[in-house]
Amino acid sequence: MATSKSDMKGFFKQKKKSGGITKAKAKSSSTKKSLSPKRSATYGSDITQPAALISHGSPDIEDDYDEKEEVLRQFDMNMAYGPCLGMSRLARWERAKSLGMNPPEDIGHLLKAGKVGAECLWEGRV
Amino acid sequence: METEDSSSENGLLHRKQALYSSLDSCFEIQKEMYRGQQYSQIYFARLHLMRTLLYSLLPNWKPHIHVCTVIGLEEGKECIIVGTLYKHMKLKPSILEEYSKERSATPLVRPHNFMHPDDHLILEDESGRIKVCGDVLLPSVYVTGVVVALHGKETGTGDFWVEDVMEAGIPHQIERPIKSGEDKYVIFVSGLDIGSSTSNPLKFQLLVDHITGHLGDKKEQSIAAKIVRVIIAGNSVEIPRGLLNGQNLGSKDQFTLSEPIKELDIQLTQIAAGIPVDIMPGPNDPANFSLPQQPLHRCLFPSSSAYNTFSLLGTSGQNIDDLEKYSDANDKLEFLERTLRWRHVAPTAPNTLGCYPFTDRDPFFVETCPHVYFVGNQEKYETRLIKGAEGQIVRLICIPRFSETGVAVVLNLRNLECHALSFGTEFG
Repeated sequence: MATSKSDMKGFFKQKKKSGGITKAKAKSSSTKKSLSPKRSATYGSDITQPAALISHGSPDIEDDYDEKEEVLRQFDMNMAYGPCLGMSRLARWERAKSLGMNPPEDIGHLLKAGKVGAECLWEGRV
Repeated sequence: METEDSSSENGLLHRKQALYSSLDSCFEIQKEMYRGQQYSQIYFARLHLMRTLLYSLLPNWKPHIHVCTVIGLEEGKECIIVGTLYKHMKLKPSILEEYSKERSATPLVRPHNFMHPDDHLILEDESGRIKVCGDVLLPSVYVTGVVVALHGKETGTGDFWVEDVMEAGIPHQIERPIKSGEDKYVIFVSGLDIGSSTSNPLKFQLLVDHITGHLGDKKEQSIAAKIVRVIIAGNSVEIPRGLLNGQNLGSKDQFTLSEPIKELDIQLTQIAAGIPVDIMPGPNDPANFSLPQQPLHRCLFPSSSAYNTFSLLGTSGQNIDDLEKYSDANDKLEFLERTLRWRHVAPTAPNTLGCYPFTDRDPFFVETCPHVYFVGNQEKYETRLIKGAEGQIVRLICIPRFSETGVAVVLNLRNLECHALSFGTEFG
């Protein structure tokens, strides 16, 4: 199916990194005229894979997320530090530190520097 | 008459004093910010805290057995797993059953205890859960929320057959100063229920008079002079809830509503004028519902305090009452002892006991062993001295409801001896 450019451009932005995998995007036949909010869960799409497992090109994530965000997402997903929902990333990192789990220091620096997403990746989406 | 601390110049008796510092700050939630978190966080904090502790105890228990997580279990291989217990109970009230049309196992009349012979235990950690079987771990003794280490192996049916169990055990206790010389008493009372139909104001007045030394002859007054503190463990008032029906209250009703608290205040003023008082909120008091209940004015729950390196820990009864609904024991003191051996004051929170969803800590974890561990609002006065493996000694006390029994408890700090103080107002 070809992607019509008119209102779908902001919705499905395909950004290919070198050697990336192209996925055939299925979308519902009823096109929404208004743009959905940027970070909403996929509406009317069959794609159900969690965003973190797709290393790029996911329809739901803001376009310009980078390796820092990727590192933070891996931190969110790491089971050893406990559930990530309901806590800010920094609070979870602090908790891991105070419980003696030795979370990587550079994640702490990244979060304290403040230019990255403060909430875990599922925040507002579940 | 002895004059060690109580000088009797001019026949004046002086009240003894004891240094006191409150350790209740870990139960305060003013600084907590609720961000929509669920209870998974507090369970994680609890599991991690206790698992680290249990791992450190494993070398002394069974050093040569392999330790693994639930997902790493191999069939037939002997190993040790550590996790949180969940007790699956057929009769446990479930909100979903109230909506379902067919009422299966739950009888319409709610029992006081929800145990059933088919109850079974499941052990859970972050990686998975596994059903636990065997005779060593009795479902009637354990409740959801206890963290233990289990030694056993996975069976062909996918269950875990338990050979042995290790609890966290009673924590380390700071040694009590053994010969502090003089007798100093702490009075415990609970369930005053001022404002209820069962409470008799005369009984409480007698207690207040005794404490303040207005009762009895010089000998009795000198005993009263040795009381250093009064601890009121919950349910001090009973607010007439019939007035609360969702409508705005008229001024007359508002007056009636606040009567019990005013009366309590008047009585407390008499005591507090001469002696420090700790008042803890209970399930019927005007405080928040979920544990840890926050202070009523300057009051704290659970109340944990230190006298001259003497430490007390206690609750207004919700934790033990909840254990009574979901497990079985010979008496209430046995429940108290179990919570100490599990090293957790309220293991059923947040499962069946309301609790604030902490994210980074579990304040009900017992760090150090108290010298006195009490629970309020029980049916009768009971007490026992228990000993731990490292020589810890704990005085367990069940404080009865004063409005029903007229009994308060007196504890001697010097030797941990305890006796009942009974006030009766009937003749014959």
